[in-house]
Formats: sequence, C-alpha cells, structure tokens
Amino acid sequence: MSNTDDADAGWLPEVKELNRRRKWAEKLGGADAVKKHHDQKRLTIRERIAGLADANSFGEVGKLTGNGQYEGAQVMGVTPAPYVMGLARIAGRPVAIGGEDFTVRGGTSGASRRRKGGQGGFVEDLAHHYRIPLVNLIDGAGGTVTSLRGRGYSVFPGVFGFERSVELLGEVPVVCAVTGTAAGGPAGRAILSHFSLMVKETAQVFAAGPPVVERALGQQIDKNDLGGHEIAVNTSGTIHNTAKSEEDCLEQIKRFLSYMPQNVWELPPVIETDDPVDRCEEELLHIVPRRRTRAYKMHRLIDLIVDRASTFEIQPTFGKAVITTLARLNGNPVGIIANNPMVYGGAQDAKSARKQTHFMELCDNFHIPLVFLVDVPGFLIGQQAEQEGALREGMRSVFAAARLTVPTITLVIRKCYGMAGMATCDKNGLDLKVAWPSGEWGSLPLEGGVAAAFRKEIKSAPDPVKREKEIEDELRPYMSPFRTAEAFEVEDIIDPRETRPFLCRFIDLAQHRLRTSLGQPLKAGVAP
Amino acid sequence: MTDVEVKSEVTGTIWKIEMKVGDAVDVGDEILIVESMKMEIPVMASIPGRISKITVSEGQPVEEGDTLAIIEAQK
Repeated sequence: MSNTDDADAGWLPEVKELNRRRKWAEKLGGADAVKKHHDQKRLTIRERIAGLADANSFGEVGKLTGNGQYEGAQVMGVTPAPYVMGLARIAGRPVAIGGEDFTVRGGTSGASRRRKGGQGGFVEDLAHHYRIPLVNLIDGAGGTVTSLRGRGYSVFPGVFGFERSVELLGEVPVVCAVTGTAAGGPAGRAILSHFSLMVKETAQVFAAGPPVVERALGQQIDKNDLGGHEIAVNTSGTIHNTAKSEEDCLEQIKRFLSYMPQNVWELPPVIETDDPVDRCEEELLHIVPRRRTRAYKMHRLIDLIVDRASTFEIQPTFGKAVITTLARLNGNPVGIIANNPMVYGGAQDAKSARKQTHFMELCDNFHIPLVFLVDVPGFLIGQQAEQEGALREGMRSVFAAARLTVPTITLVIRKCYGMAGMATCDKNGLDLKVAWPSGEWGSLPLEGGVAAAFRKEIKSAPDPVKREKEIEDELRPYMSPFRTAEAFEVEDIIDPRETRPFLCRFIDLAQHRLRTSLGQPLKAGVAP
Repeated sequence: MTDVEVKSEVTGTIWKIEMKVGDAVDVGDEILIVESMKMEIPVMASIPGRISKITVSEGQPVEEGDTLAIIEAQK
C-alpha cells in the first residue's frame, strides 16, 4: 500500500497491484466464457487485435477500466469493461483499433463505462485527433434495458451519438468488421464506415434481432435468415463484403487499408511493382466479341490491365452489373469501375448504381484516381427496375460523378449509352474520354432507337421490318467511334493491347494534381 | 459426390443450350446461354464435373436465381 515506509521497495507494491490488475484485464470474461467463445469458432477481442496489429505494436488504452470487487479496501478482482481498444500499427502504419469483448456481458455497452465503447467512444477520438484510420471490431448487441435500473433514467438517443462517427467519414479511413451478432447501435455503427465486412458463419447484422421481431411483427425467423451474410451482404448491400473466416476478415481489413492514405490530408501509399508498365496483352485484342450481343468476361479484362494480383473487389456479391475494385497501376492505388456485360448486359439497376455511387465517393474522399471501363447499355428498364428506383439511384450516381474531384479517365470498352453513360464521366474535370475500337455510344442504341424515332415512316412502309432494318443500316456508319474522334468528342481511340501503358502513363501524370488537391471535401448541396 | 446447382444471374430467356446430360465440364466451360437485355449471357461451370441434369429448355423464360442445370462435382 502507498502508506508503507519501506523505502527500498519504492512503489513496487503498487506496481505489483498494477500488474495484477492488468492480468485481470487480460482474462477478459474468465476462462469459462472464453472457452465457450472459442467453442463457437470465434476469436476473442484480444486475439483479433493481435491478429491485425504488427507484433508488439498494440498500445492499449483503458486497460484498467472495469468494475472492481472489493473486500473492505482490498481489491479482489476487476471485471473488465466489455471493450478493448488502443493504438497499434498495421503494416507499419498507426491505426486506432477497438472492439467489444463478447465474453463480458455479451459485449453490451454498460451504463457508466459507455465512454470506453465504440460508438462515440474514446477510440473514435484517437482516430480523429491523431488522424489515423479507425478499425472497429464489432461484436456486441448494443444497449440493454437492464442499464435503466442502474442509471435510474432513460438515455436520450444520441447522447452517446454518432456525431464523431459521421465526422470521421470525411477525415480518416474507417473499417467496421462485424464478427458476431450485431443489432441496434453496433449494427448502425458498422454502416457508418468506408468499408464494412462480416464473418460468414458467425456474424449477423440487423436493426433488431429475432426476439424483438417476433414481439413486434409476430414473425418467427432465424437470425441468419434475418441478417446473415446472404441477406446483409448479397441481398441488401447493408454490409460490403463477406469474410469466409475470422482470419480472412482480418486479412481483408489489412488489404483494404493498404490502398488507403492515413487521412484525407495525405496521399495513399504507392508501392514498388515488378509488373512492367509497358506490358501489352495480345488477349485484349480479342476479348470483346465482334458479335455485339455477345457478353464477355470483364473481370478477366481488368486482371490483364492492372498490376498483377493487385485487385481488391468491394461488394463483389451485390449489384453485380457493375464491378467496383481497388487496384494498382504502376504501384499507384486506383479505383476501377467496370460494367459487367455478364449481368443484364451491364445495365445499371438500383443496386449497382448505389454500389457505384459509394465507390466513387470513397475514392474521391481519399484521392484515389478513378478508371471507368465502360460497357453500359443504359439504366435497367422494366417494371421491377422502376419499382426498385433504378432511375433515382442511377441519377444519384450521375450526381456523384459530376462532383468528382479526383483525376478520372473514361475508357469505353463497348457500349456507353444515355444517362448511365454520363455516370461514367467526370464532367467537372479534364474529363478524359478514350475508347477501344469496339466502342459505340449515343443517347440510346440504334436498335429500338430507330423504331421509336421513325415510327410513322416504318409503320407506313410496305414492309415495316425491312424499312426499320434499312434505316438502321443507313445510320450505322455514323456510329463509328472514329467519327466521334474526328469531332474531338472522345480524345483518342487506343489499341486495346496498349491499355495498360496508356493508363499507367495517365495515372503517373495525375500525381501532381493529387498532391495539390489534398484535404477535406467541400460541402456541396444535398445528395438526391 | 456433391451436386452443384448452376443458377441464372439474370432474368431472361434460354437462348441456346450448348451441353447435354453426361457431358464433362471444367471451370469456365459454357453450359448454356441466357438472353437478357438483348445480350447473350453465357452461363459457365463453376466447378469441374459432369452435367447430371439440365432443368430448362430453349426458349423458356427464367428468373434471376433459377436453377438451370446441375453439375455432379468431380472427386
């Protein structure tokens, strides 16, 4: 105790108590709770942090926080607060990192220690003040009504609010990984991120879980049918990516951060690559079938162009008519947005538009240049598409494209039609538009377009089918991309094989623009 | 042996069936073509194996997520 007069011992008794208290913290919810957690094939929060952080880099903050048990003045033990956090390094770069400890009260946010938690908690302030990425490892059910009794009153929503979470989205990369069942606050926290992911077998995300749903709607439903990855990732797009295991989840977090700057005031990291800038691929000359109605593999096309094995696809299982992937060109991070002709011919539906909008905003926020590989016949049409709001979501992506500030290049691979085509160009910037010889564009395709514009003439012809075909044939030569290049409405037509050298040159030249455009985005109106 | 269902990514019409029951397939082989949004969209095998069933016929309309064929996976 501190009132000892033993000068030789100095403060050793207190240091011993400190070490005892640290050990209690490391025991989390106790051996039984940890074993139960492990039996469910789940890692503890300390194991998760150890798996993410560089060796010996974790500097914990708030390790002593918890509920002490005392006999008189003597402390007998401390139940740690159900949240572990601190500073660490990932691939040498500092991050703020934290997550609920499920082995203590299921990770529920306790009344008095709320400040230590994820939402509005200290870990967010660390990220904000030090301007470093935030990694949230979410494994908690949020608030609990049991805290009512202890506190004696009901907390107003927003007192421990999302203000800081929202602020961070314009400052530093935020990654949220859902590693267990997340409902309420923690589920909401997961969505206020630049990149969210969930573990396939063991995570669920929903506004409210099965007991609350049954009480409110009389609906009996399994937690995976309500918020498993098939729903939350593949169907609703609430969460971006699925991880096949906890280990894969940690790898994806590292991978995502490897493309990101530390904050919006810095540039993303450029790495060395041994992939030659002038690599030309013969396969690209043949990848687009001459038959205009025949689909092809856009994923393959991307792989042939970017630095080898450099892609990291965001939302690969949602809104699949467009592919959004981080990648590198000559070691520089880029965002690739490519229409996928394999899914509805690449027509933009509500889901793919939403995905594209998010990805454009992500790259713009963090100074990552965008490359559009365009093959879009237009917005998806038909009753279902209209019901899902394809037009509104599509126009949101046009709006987001028009606000882009990062250098952008639009490379038309095949089709570029209508308003969906507009969403692939940055109208405010240099707006560099180039095309492969297979490129074709316009307000709408000739097929259908002719039928609509020349309806009277076709109808009154002796052979309407023949007349429609005649008009199409008459207009088709004007569709040649070379004619548009003559008019300087596309700046160039390139040999498909030379795509990689062309894009690498562009991205290298854009570095000065990036370097001199750092900082936070300006507020610009209201997203529709 | 595990059976893997080959599903349609899109709503459309079966335009052409290129394989028959019993045919061996490898990853990426085209089994059939669905026509959607005026485009021919090939449906490919995701695993090596043998076609054990084709559940659609040419000209038949299909919905997104419908099973089109079944591959018996190679051991």
